[in-house]
Amino acid sequence: MWQLVKHRLPIAGVTGAVLFMIVQVIANLSLPKLTADIVNKGITNGDVDLIKQIGIQMIGVSLISIVAALGNVFLASRISQGLGRDLRNDVFSKVINYSNDEFDEVGTSSLITRTTNDVLQIQNVMMMILRMMIMAPITLIGASFLAYQRDHQLTKIFIYVIPILIVVIAVLMGSAVPLFKKMQKLTDRLNLVFREGLTGVRVIRAFRRDTFEQDRFDQANTNYTNNALRVFSILAVMFPMMTLIMSGTNVGITWMGANLIADQATQTGNMIAFMTYAMQILMSFLMLSMVFVFVPRAQAAAVRINEVLALKTKIVDPKKPEALATETTSLKLDHVNYRYRQAENLALTDINVSVKGGETLAIIGGTGSGKTTLVNLIPRFYDVETGEVSINGVNIKAINKETLRDQVALVPQKALLFKGTLRENMKYGNETATDDAIWHALDIAQASDFIKETGKGLDTTVEQGGNNFSGGQKQRLAIARALVKEASIYVFDDSFSALDFKTDANLRQQLKDDPFMKDKVTVIVGQRVSTVASADAILVLDNGKMAGYGTHEALKQNSPVYQDIVASQIREGGAANA
Amino acid sequence: MPKEAPKANHGGFGGGRAGLSGSKPNNFWKTTLRLFSYMRRYYVGLAVVLVFAIASQIFQIRTPKILGEATTEIFKGVMTGTAQQKAGLTVDRYPIDFDKIKHIILIVILLYVLSAVLSFIQQFIMTRISQRTVYYLRKDLKQKMRQLPISYYDTHENGDIMSRAINDMDNIANTLQQNITQLITSTVTLIGTIWMMLTISWKLTLLALLIVPLSLVVVGVVAPRSQKYFAAQQKSLGLLNNKVEETYAGHIETKSFNHEHKDISEFKAENDRLYTASWKAQMVSGIIMPLMMFVNNLGYILIAIVGGTAVTNGTITLGNIQAFLQYTQQFSQPISQLANLANTIQATIASAERIFEVLDEPDMPKTKVDIPDVTDDQRKIAMSHVQFGYDGQDLLMEDYNLDVNPGEMVAIVGPTGAGKTTIINLLERFYDIKGGSIKLDGVDTRNLQREELRQQFAMVLQDTWLFTGSIYDNLKYGREDATHDEIIAAAKAAHVDEFVRQLPDGYDTILNEEASNISQGQRQLITIARAFVADPEILILDEATSSVDTRTELQIQHAMSKLLKGRTSFVVAHRLSTIQDADNIIVMNHGSIVETGTHQQLLDKKGFYADLYNSQFTGSLAI
Repeated sequence: MWQLVKHRLPIAGVTGAVLFMIVQVIANLSLPKLTADIVNKGITNGDVDLIKQIGIQMIGVSLISIVAALGNVFLASRISQGLGRDLRNDVFSKVINYSNDEFDEVGTSSLITRTTNDVLQIQNVMMMILRMMIMAPITLIGASFLAYQRDHQLTKIFIYVIPILIVVIAVLMGSAVPLFKKMQKLTDRLNLVFREGLTGVRVIRAFRRDTFEQDRFDQANTNYTNNALRVFSILAVMFPMMTLIMSGTNVGITWMGANLIADQATQTGNMIAFMTYAMQILMSFLMLSMVFVFVPRAQAAAVRINEVLALKTKIVDPKKPEALATETTSLKLDHVNYRYRQAENLALTDINVSVKGGETLAIIGGTGSGKTTLVNLIPRFYDVETGEVSINGVNIKAINKETLRDQVALVPQKALLFKGTLRENMKYGNETATDDAIWHALDIAQASDFIKETGKGLDTTVEQGGNNFSGGQKQRLAIARALVKEASIYVFDDSFSALDFKTDANLRQQLKDDPFMKDKVTVIVGQRVSTVASADAILVLDNGKMAGYGTHEALKQNSPVYQDIVASQIREGGAANA
Repeated sequence: MPKEAPKANHGGFGGGRAGLSGSKPNNFWKTTLRLFSYMRRYYVGLAVVLVFAIASQIFQIRTPKILGEATTEIFKGVMTGTAQQKAGLTVDRYPIDFDKIKHIILIVILLYVLSAVLSFIQQFIMTRISQRTVYYLRKDLKQKMRQLPISYYDTHENGDIMSRAINDMDNIANTLQQNITQLITSTVTLIGTIWMMLTISWKLTLLALLIVPLSLVVVGVVAPRSQKYFAAQQKSLGLLNNKVEETYAGHIETKSFNHEHKDISEFKAENDRLYTASWKAQMVSGIIMPLMMFVNNLGYILIAIVGGTAVTNGTITLGNIQAFLQYTQQFSQPISQLANLANTIQATIASAERIFEVLDEPDMPKTKVDIPDVTDDQRKIAMSHVQFGYDGQDLLMEDYNLDVNPGEMVAIVGPTGAGKTTIINLLERFYDIKGGSIKLDGVDTRNLQREELRQQFAMVLQDTWLFTGSIYDNLKYGREDATHDEIIAAAKAAHVDEFVRQLPDGYDTILNEEASNISQGQRQLITIARAFVADPEILILDEATSSVDTRTELQIQHAMSKLLKGRTSFVVAHRLSTIQDADNIIVMNHGSIVETGTHQQLLDKKGFYADLYNSQFTGSLAI
């Protein structure tokens, strides 16, 4: 954790917080001394003026204490929350520049947790450190010193009390902490079963398994409750035990004190003051024991954040980027080999294709044949192992990623929209797009009808992930969004899969007929032969290798894999032979 | 994915629940009483808790005064000793009455131990009461979920129901666990402390009470501000988490639209807002303690001065003033605690209200209709004059008729979003029709138990819902009394056996929530096998359109056609072969049925279906 925070903490601020804390602790510790003075010097001697004088001193000290406390809280809040903000910014900026490789390696949901919860953990612990954790040792040292100074013989009481305290804390924490961890798992399980009951309600009822579900939930509920009973029973022991230890200490001090006073070895006021110091010493111990609960948790979070920050992005811009001419468009893959991170086998082997502006390249093949991998090479989401991808005659590694991606519009397999309005979503790739241009794109994407039905047009709200739209609607909106972006290469990665025949056909027809697309390169990845058949060139992929490349007619003659695919779909297609 | 801010541990190591503020119940007392009626099994336990908590607290409060007597005793001895010394006597040891002190200490120890034991027992019982109460509340909620009509699920967001089942339930558990006892002890402490102070000196007590309004001012000024900042913090945190989730999930979009700079600047702006709100929230909540301590110290000093004078005058003993000073320190704590509790308890009752709201939803109606059974009806399913529309919406079917003979296949077709699931809803009686009749083997389905009816059906939907459990258990889900052999046979028929055997744990492989350990196509196969296990007379099938690889797709088709063989079936069809072979085709658009007939009849009609069918050939080459 130290490694993560050391460069991010303002030294002056932290020093200030510590100094304020020292002042606060000293002020707090001198209060019992003044109280003792009131009793010893004031009350015993019947000196009311002295009592008042000491009283004024006490008010002064209280004021110092509160000012110091405010200073400490102010700095601690700003430093800890500032640390959280900086860490979040750093992690977010780092992750957003990750290539797909790094996203695959760490996993999206883990990255989300690291950016949000893990940083919060660190931030909260930092607040606690700057407030309580530095207060505890300072108080411990100060109070011990003062207690010893008051009466070194009474300090013997700690020989008995502290070991007891440590043993009790160790035993209770030792048994509670694993149960707390287990509680988290059992809570997750409880939530999971309940949520499945919601998402699967139709299936559950159709198969008449309501009772099974009720039992399943009851099991999770019982496990959770039993664990909670254990945890809280331990806590039920803990608090009375702590109170007992503290009260016991007071009783012990009174007994020892009475003897010492009788022997004239100390004074009554000293004993009273000693009791106060003793309480502060024990409280500090308790606070310090919290370190063992919170710091390991933050430590784990810190390790996970460090991993994110240390991970190097594979795909970087060239040192001297070349310019990209955009008068004419072309796309070429030349002897491309690709292998996933740490994979044994090549995911793509010796791929060679070439298309010019105005042409359509279609890619067909089974799942796992490498279709998506291939199209992800075009905007440099992954880098080729050997060989070269070039657009407009320039190797894409020689130009900036931004320049490249300006020219490529990709509609991914899983369409994702963002929370906001439809207009914002459509302008995602082109902030200057006019409403007319957006409507035109929606028309081509066969999306304007259902958008008009909402009655709000481009102001239609889009929920997170676009979840207020059906799968097919989302795909069409994602297509429209890509069309709004004025690129020169359009890539549709299986983007028509959730559409019915009619919509699919209309969309492709209009796309082909649109004058804007005349000199553009279109790449279509598909599963249906009917989707790819009209392309200028079809690439048939099988296990990452080219199993055919040419027109529909040619492939029907010379590609066995393509023939298989056609045959399997003709059986279902039937009348499509017409 | 974790979305919420870190919550305080379940009663663990302290920490407030900041996110709770702001929600107020509509009917506080009614809901409170109802919540208490949930604890009626434990009224005796609650009484014990109440008595023990009060007793324990009283002992806790009394002890400083008694221990103070020991100090007084010591002081007396010292005074006597000093007086003797002044009189010229040699005093080795001050004449302190150790017997008396021993006596006092024994009483104090006894009281402390008693208080600790009572407090432990009380907490122990309360833990059982609270956890069991919430256990039953959860159980009831789950029970209720099975009695609610599907329309409830369709009209309420899962997120909303989950939040009631989880967050609101948590609030109640925490409050019952900690806050009820806190309420008792704080009240007792407050009253007890004041009482004890009164027994020492009413004048000093009045003086001490002067600080109450002062602490109330502190709480009253600071607490709302802290709530305001915490609410702002919570809101910012939520927005920020959404932003992170959305951006990471859409990182492909971010990259392909060159959106990195914009995302970073948006993130930073929100992050800055979070920083401002959260440091202020931390700051304000952090200064409450020092402020209260300051107020407390003021009271303390005042009492020391006045009390000191009184001791000098001999109107009060030193032990008493010592005890009184301790009470003064204890005194403001219950006040601020009670102020906090008021908020928490309100929020909890609001939570309880949200849960009771679900429990009070009307159950599925038990409808019996006066439609006589038709004995030896040859038709499997007969829909006659069916009227249906979703609640509060226009009728989708006004007078629909369809006969389905045993073994026939009915295809349901229509463009994306045409409402093809409506038919499934009616057949399975997820929704009841508004008029007319749907008969199964001559019996109106509303005169059958829902369970009886559904026994005849099995469903394979595109949404491949499987529960988190082993593959084997998921297959067995189809029919509880299926034998091992039947299950394996079903798995083989649906091409499940082949891939399951390649998994390291075979049939014991646990499917996780996202089922990322098997592919989408394999999930689909499992749902088909599940339907095989159910071995129903009637099948409802939703053909997959989602992208699965060709091989798996062939397997799915193959398994589906095997499953269809010899059964009456309703198929939401996307494949021409399925549609053409159907005995009847229901064509849907915009939620209603537009046409019904065979493929050829519908083509001849040249209506919507003919248009739909022909359109797919435009723009594509002949294969």
